[in-house]
Amino acid sequence: MTKFQVIGILSMIFILISYFRSIRRPAIAKIIVSLILISGIVFFLYPDLTNQLAHYLGIGRGADLIFYLSILGFAYLFILLYSKIRKLESQLASVIRKESLESIHKPENNAG
Amino acid sequence: MKICLIIPAFNEAHIIKKVLEELIVLKYSIILVDDGSTDGTYQIASGYPIIPLRHRINLGQGAALETGMEAARIMNADFVIHFDADGQHDPADIELVLAPLQNAKADVVFGSRFLTREPTGISWPRKMILKTARWVNYFITGILLTDAHNGLRALNKKALNTIHFQQPGMAHASEILYAVKNNSLRYAEIPVHIRYTPYSKKKGQGALGAVNILFHLLFKRN
Repeated sequence: MTKFQVIGILSMIFILISYFRSIRRPAIAKIIVSLILISGIVFFLYPDLTNQLAHYLGIGRGADLIFYLSILGFAYLFILLYSKIRKLESQLASVIRKESLESIHKPENNAG
Repeated sequence: MKICLIIPAFNEAHIIKKVLEELIVLKYSIILVDDGSTDGTYQIASGYPIIPLRHRINLGQGAALETGMEAARIMNADFVIHFDADGQHDPADIELVLAPLQNAKADVVFGSRFLTREPTGISWPRKMILKTARWVNYFITGILLTDAHNGLRALNKKALNTIHFQQPGMAHASEILYAVKNNSLRYAEIPVHIRYTPYSKKKGQGALGAVNILFHLLFKRN
């Protein structure tokens, strides 16, 4: 086993452990993250597998395949985080709005 | 008839006094929503016979307008006017934008700086941005206004209760078009006069603001 394989596999295991130690996640997220990280470990152990998979998909090298996949992964992560932030923003806005409206009272003879 | 002026304000301490003094003589209920200003805008506004509201932190103009609209809903307003805090709108135009609502000709009235009167001191890049925005709005919402981003608007009770701004920032001008379209509200455009001053131009949005708005709209559903 090369030095980089050791480093890579240890990092994968570390990420896996820290992911499951933090707050609860939906089951589907756990499955997807586990699959990604376990396949990462497999690819570190058998680098030739990525080449075979790349050829099968019509890509020249295994390293390129990993590169393309990580771009897709980051793009997905970006969208996910963006939508989370948007959701937080709107929750924040409603809290702030509620607080600012506390001084407003309904008119006495509210005709509707 | 209860008419509420909604003024979203963010760091307008230098001009808010002048704007409010022009407006309080008009006998409308004035709701000023201070959007987390740090320059004492809220304190100055509180000295006037108006309804000052305050966001603890800055949320954006769309959020401030929605707070003002919510206040107007609670106060059971019949008509609301959106009015900018930076002194670029002419108080004399308020009656003009109200007229189609009072005659039951429209549910929403948009002020337009391009309809007939020529605005003073508008630069050509700004003009180009507004013209482009107009067509972008048309392709996204199906409504073609002469002025894509005018802050002076009037809404009747029906529109007030139908339109809820979800987007915190400057995309509210397009958002209101969606709402008009989706709820089949009747709308009208009225020529208004925009007073471009060095101050209002500095406070206004640059070209990048338009790009921001476009992206907000494209990511709307997230």
